[in-house]
Amino acid sequence: MSRDLTILTDVSLITCIVQRGKADKVVQTAQEAGASGATIYYGYGSGVRERLGVLGLAIDVEKEIITAMVADDQADRIFERMYFAAELDVPGNGVIYMTRLEKAATFIPKDILDRVHAKGSHRP
Amino acid sequence: MIPAIAYDEVGNELPHRPAALEIEATDVYRLLRPYLSVRFFEQFRAVMPLVVYLALFQLFILRETIAEAGTITFGLVGVIVGLMLFMEGLKVGLMPFGEAIGITLPAKAALAVVIVVVFLLGVGVTFAEPAIGALQTAGSLVSVERAPYLYTLLNHFTMPLVLAVGVGVGFAAVLGTFRFLYGMSLKPFIFFTLVPLLVLTAWMALHPELAKVLGLAFDCGAVTTGPVTVPLVLSLGIGIAHAAGKGSDSLSGFGIVTLASLFPILAVMGLALYVANTVTPAEIIMAHSTAGAGAPTPFYDQTPWAEIIGGLRAIVPLVLFLLFVMVVLLRVRMRHPGIIAFGILLCVAGMIVFNLGLSYGLSKLGSQSGGLVPSAFTRIDAVPSSPLYMFVLGLGIAVGFAWVLGFGATLAEPALNALGITVENLTNGSFRKSTLLYAVSIGVGFGIAAGVAKIIFDIPIAWLLIPGYLVAGALTVVSSEEYVNIAWDSAGVTTGPVTVPLVLAMGLGFGNALGAVEGFGILSMASIGPIIAVLGTGLYIRWKIARRYARDQPRAGI
Repeated sequence: MSRDLTILTDVSLITCIVQRGKADKVVQTAQEAGASGATIYYGYGSGVRERLGVLGLAIDVEKEIITAMVADDQADRIFERMYFAAELDVPGNGVIYMTRLEKAATFIPKDILDRVHAKGSHRP
Repeated sequence: MIPAIAYDEVGNELPHRPAALEIEATDVYRLLRPYLSVRFFEQFRAVMPLVVYLALFQLFILRETIAEAGTITFGLVGVIVGLMLFMEGLKVGLMPFGEAIGITLPAKAALAVVIVVVFLLGVGVTFAEPAIGALQTAGSLVSVERAPYLYTLLNHFTMPLVLAVGVGVGFAAVLGTFRFLYGMSLKPFIFFTLVPLLVLTAWMALHPELAKVLGLAFDCGAVTTGPVTVPLVLSLGIGIAHAAGKGSDSLSGFGIVTLASLFPILAVMGLALYVANTVTPAEIIMAHSTAGAGAPTPFYDQTPWAEIIGGLRAIVPLVLFLLFVMVVLLRVRMRHPGIIAFGILLCVAGMIVFNLGLSYGLSKLGSQSGGLVPSAFTRIDAVPSSPLYMFVLGLGIAVGFAWVLGFGATLAEPALNALGITVENLTNGSFRKSTLLYAVSIGVGFGIAAGVAKIIFDIPIAWLLIPGYLVAGALTVVSSEEYVNIAWDSAGVTTGPVTVPLVLAMGLGFGNALGAVEGFGILSMASIGPIIAVLGTGLYIRWKIARRYARDQPRAGI
């Protein structure tokens, strides 16, 4: 049986860095807004924390880095939702950025593939 | 938005140092709110279940309102806030010291110096242990005529008493470090400590005055292993083992807690013997009656001054010692000295607030409920309608109350949860976390129930301790090394800064209401209970695995 690869285009990658323990809420928001999934890494970082003096103690140096691939036409909305879910308007809470992806591929449910083919898209 | 890059006169780039950030009040609030609420509720969850249990038990089973509810509530808030500040200060201010010393000391100093530092650190951390303050509070509840040695130890020998405990912890830290270095088994350490311990216990039990000190001596062992001692001593020991090239094997974190809860018992017994050789009971009672008529207590012995001085005395010597090691011995400059100073300030402030809360909240509540529980089965003056229940039923309620208190308090202890995860990894999942949690909690439950029964029936503490430790010793002989380490250490982690004062005060109040000589010993029973429970569980698991293996073996042969 031959196996197919379907290339997805028009996708963006949203990366959001938050303090340790805060990723789950952000990921949930992203999924509710249309992201299909997210990956979390651990790391640690500095920046605003060092410039806040004693207040900086309230910021955890350990971070969670969330990456989520999203469709271009939903990207801005998800980006905005994640920004507010992570409360990035508070100093030290983290940063979010989005990059264009050239292409991506993953498992795609069969009914979706069939629907796309019925519309007349070409197979790669 | 882009930082301006500066150059020196030759044209080299100067490193850019960003200016401090000015933020608005709303941002400060948004920044601090999650930070503070997480830490507040962490302590809140440790304190509240016990308090609610005590209060409900008193209201519904004993049908007594809580006296001074306002003061107690205020004190409990003090305990929660104090612990919160203290733990954060410990993390920010003291732990970086411990880690830095643990890493650099073994590399820069000779082994003899390292050992001396470890020993002194063991003494210093004992003074900084929040639960130690509970001993002082407990001292005021002992009657001088009936237990003169106990009274004088707690009231006139407070400093030597804590020092004796500290010396015990210091020796434990040194031996624990040797164990790290040479990868020795814990078993011989346990046997060599148990033999003199039990012999001395038996000998002191024969002496009518000295026997009353035994409960205190064994309780001191439970008090020592708290949130300051364990991480600081461990970080140093592990650092030394690493520097010696002995990578941390899976068991290396264990053992120090065990030794740190056994050695202080010996040290306190030694101090009691010394006191018994220098003064007679009659002299103590004489001195007390003359002093009682004398001058009023000086201002520094009254609340809140006593607590403030106590807080400073607990933290400052430890900090000075750590600073001395860092600056003079190691010549290391600390990074972020301002942050460290702030952390130390938090520690001191937290200790003071905690001590205040201890006097006004936990100790008061504990001694109040402890004093009322006997009304379930016997006549006491405080409750006119007592006994509330038939003797046997009431007795059952009192012992059951103690059991549930011990079980619940232990199950909620965060340190035990952490130990459970370690143990599950260590035994490749055959000893599950929940199994350990329940084994230890049930052990503590029975231990506290036995301690309460000891006060009710006036059983000499030696009768419970000697067989208990003999059983534990026998189980240790037949158990494997992992289980020995886990079991003996689990006894130490159960007694945190909330449980210790509450149980101590409850026991003393309980003892006073019943007219018992002293109410110590409950904590020591709570330490021996989990040892036996966990060792027993370990043997059961081993038997189960062996049986499964034996059953599967013939089938595999076919």
